[in-house]
Amino acid sequence: MSEPANSGPTVRRLWTRNLVIWAALMALLLVSLVGAYIPMGRITTASGIVIAIAKSMLVVLLFMELAFAKPLIRLAAIAGLVFLSAMFALTLSDILARP
Amino acid sequence: MSDETALLREPWLDFARQREAGKFGIWVFLASETLFFGALMLTYMVCRIEHPEAFVAAGRETNIWYGTINTAVLLTSSLTMAVAAQGAESYARLRRLVIACLTLTALLGLAFIVIKGFEYKEDMDKHLVPGAGFELPERAAQLFYGFYWLVTSVHAIHLSIGIALVGRLVWVLLRRELPVTENPEIEVTALYWHLVDIVWIFLYPLIYLPGRSS
Repeated sequence: MSEPANSGPTVRRLWTRNLVIWAALMALLLVSLVGAYIPMGRITTASGIVIAIAKSMLVVLLFMELAFAKPLIRLAAIAGLVFLSAMFALTLSDILARP
Repeated sequence: MSDETALLREPWLDFARQREAGKFGIWVFLASETLFFGALMLTYMVCRIEHPEAFVAAGRETNIWYGTINTAVLLTSSLTMAVAAQGAESYARLRRLVIACLTLTALLGLAFIVIKGFEYKEDMDKHLVPGAGFELPERAAQLFYGFYWLVTSVHAIHLSIGIALVGRLVWVLLRRELPVTENPEIEVTALYWHLVDIVWIFLYPLIYLPGRSS
């Protein structure tokens, strides 16, 4: 089965959209790699995590298309993060408050 | 037989509802996976707060090139997976493109596993396995490598399952057992694949980046 003649623009749009996201992900990877070698104390560690959050936002919102998903789907995705933040908040409030 | 009839499964009477339910189901599963990997990362965080110097010394021993190249490989596999999933969504009938991108995704996943294998070999040669004969003098560095071996192997198991799922998709699509257009199995597999990628995105700074600036 050959592809219909009008699939060309669709294919180009698919690749353009996703290649831009991929390029952004690669750029962020490079920034976190270089940033790790710059001595800034705690900021160096934090920058790695912040960049990881930015990269995962790109993947979740654009590759996984959560940005265009229905409310029910968004709710399911956010539920995991809500319980995760509860786990982090409760644990760290103990660990960081220890003398 | 239309595409929708071929894809409709019990107990659904309506294809649109089946797709919604499948998508909702995988997102609930991914939320549980977030908690699973999140708990492991929280453990790492607690240990690192307690033993900051040992974690920095241990992180410095990892091979940053294997880690960085593997991150790039996995990010690229997410690109081909996204193109495959969005191609299957489109009505332009992009069967060949979708199958090619799925094949590429599985191959990139395999490449990741192979590179990881070389890295594991090097880690073992450098005596970075916790226990007797461990390379580093800092005792808590063994906690770091305990986390390293556990979480990277659990991630590799997840990725292997992903490769098997994508491989199966390529097989059934090539044999025309299922249509490509609007196939919910492609969508659901893609969402799982991206999550495995996201887990690695977070593991990268935790494992490979500590201790590089000092």
